[in-house]
Amino acid sequence: MRIVVLGAGTVGTWIADLLCQHRHSVTVIDNSSENTQRINEELDVKGVTGSASESSILFQAGVLGADICLAVTGSDEVNLVAASMAKAMGARRSIARAFGPIFRDRSTFDYERHFRIDRLLSLEHLSAVELARGLQGPGSLATESLADGKLQMQEITVRDSTAALGQPLKDLSLPSGVRVGTIYRDGNMWIAGAEDHVQLEDRITLIGQRQDIVDVKDKFQRKADPKLGVVIAGGGETGYHLCRILEDRRYAITLMEHDPERCEFLAANLTHVTVIQADAQRRAVLEEERVGTADVFAACTGDDENNIMACVEAKELGCKRMMAIVQRPDYANVVGKLGITVAVSPRDVMAKQILSFLNKGPVISRAMLPGGNIGVFEIEVNEDAPATQYDLLSLPLPPSCLIIAVMRQDFVQVPGANDRLKPGDLVVALVDDAAAEKMLTLFNMKALT
Amino acid sequence: MKFSDFVCQDAIRAELSADDKESVIRELVSALVESGRVAESDHEDIVKAIIKREELGSTGIGRGVAVPHTKHPSVERLVGTVGISHDGVDFDSLDGEKVQLLFLLISPPDRPGDHLRALENISRQLRDEMFCKFLKQSKSCADISQLLEEADNNQFVS
Repeated sequence: MRIVVLGAGTVGTWIADLLCQHRHSVTVIDNSSENTQRINEELDVKGVTGSASESSILFQAGVLGADICLAVTGSDEVNLVAASMAKAMGARRSIARAFGPIFRDRSTFDYERHFRIDRLLSLEHLSAVELARGLQGPGSLATESLADGKLQMQEITVRDSTAALGQPLKDLSLPSGVRVGTIYRDGNMWIAGAEDHVQLEDRITLIGQRQDIVDVKDKFQRKADPKLGVVIAGGGETGYHLCRILEDRRYAITLMEHDPERCEFLAANLTHVTVIQADAQRRAVLEEERVGTADVFAACTGDDENNIMACVEAKELGCKRMMAIVQRPDYANVVGKLGITVAVSPRDVMAKQILSFLNKGPVISRAMLPGGNIGVFEIEVNEDAPATQYDLLSLPLPPSCLIIAVMRQDFVQVPGANDRLKPGDLVVALVDDAAAEKMLTLFNMKALT
Repeated sequence: MKFSDFVCQDAIRAELSADDKESVIRELVSALVESGRVAESDHEDIVKAIIKREELGSTGIGRGVAVPHTKHPSVERLVGTVGISHDGVDFDSLDGEKVQLLFLLISPPDRPGDHLRALENISRQLRDEMFCKFLKQSKSCADISQLLEEADNNQFVS
């Protein structure tokens, strides 16, 4: 594929390197000739010197006719403008990195739509989603974040005999935002239908918005799960996003931030989080905040060494699960040895995301449920996908396939029978592996390969 | 958008004689004047506009290809032409190589979408090595026309 990367900074260079390794044809634009020279020497890419927001430079770099344009310069505004121009000039897909959270918020102004950018990515948000992924929900066998962290999938084993057992699912009056996805019983897993019922010792997956899942879990569990204690060090963008993702009654979150002004902001915007103005580098602080008894400690300051040290201290104090943001790839080897359970590298996260855009087909992610043949798919609805031709009720889906949710314009919706998919929607579906191919033809899988 | 939508058959030049950037642009615009697509009185103005754009950044995109272009109110629809310079012309290209293959495009200012689609089509088709190679080897306008037609029928780019 032909890919134009705007910006040869840390992220841009890293992505260009990765794309070269995947044998794509890469052109990199940077306004410093030093940077383009360096990248020309180090990597098998074409370097163009100039501003990414200049049409002549984009033209020279071959944006017209490129498959993807990735705008990852250090300036949000340049990224927005350049990605928008690239798309208008004929790049098939255009993706921009934006640091400022406001650019990805649609409530006042929809930047993505206005600038016709396919995806605005925040490294900090992606990192936070990845950290949240490493955090297993209490009482769950597995959790998975879907639809950009807006949907969750949890697997639970039914151990309490509650009134909900033995009744058809359709009679349980479950909240509309959540579904029982699969049932696993006696070695078999299947996609749950309206007539199915749950028995003792079944393993079931619940998919929906986080709060709704908690409500549904209560129907199958007599006692609520104990809260999971989470201590987060660093209230920057990543820490803040992590709090927003986790903020519900399953977690007791303490957030440490040393800047008093930032603390004010955090306290005002995070209702269920205890914000403490403190320096997480100090052992006395960690002791005082009882990090030793916390279930999880997450270090997400902007400094690798501080993050690693804080995790080591937390481990010393008795904390069992340590997570850290670690930028430098050189450290990847060491962090495991130091007892850090999960290390998230923002570059890796970004790279993973970008590679998923390179998939020729509409499948954004595919995860297999443990112990069965059933996969969870995130599928993007493309322009002229056959699926847009039918109401959901008459959509010719294979029998072992269930559309669980549709994300449209940032909002997760549970689809009704008369709804119709639109280009740009993101569909979350459960499907038996054997039927996956048949389902994907509805989303133009064939036409694109 | 296809080549046949904007390339004027009788303005195609298989053997350009000019040997520098400005005169090669001038030669191609003259071809459009001769074919009746551009008024003689607008000739100089259009050449100037194209050169002005080149000064902001060469449209020589490497591999011996250049796509000089501009928008001008004197044309009512997209007009374009193709020229081959067998000796090559220095065009300040990105890769420093001389240019043998030139696509020149003039669009009316009120059709920005069509203009971009035409440029996109040119860029996409020129990515194909074989297409470029065959064009550069063309000896006659008929050869070039035929290659453009084949490209329009997607025989080069999948």
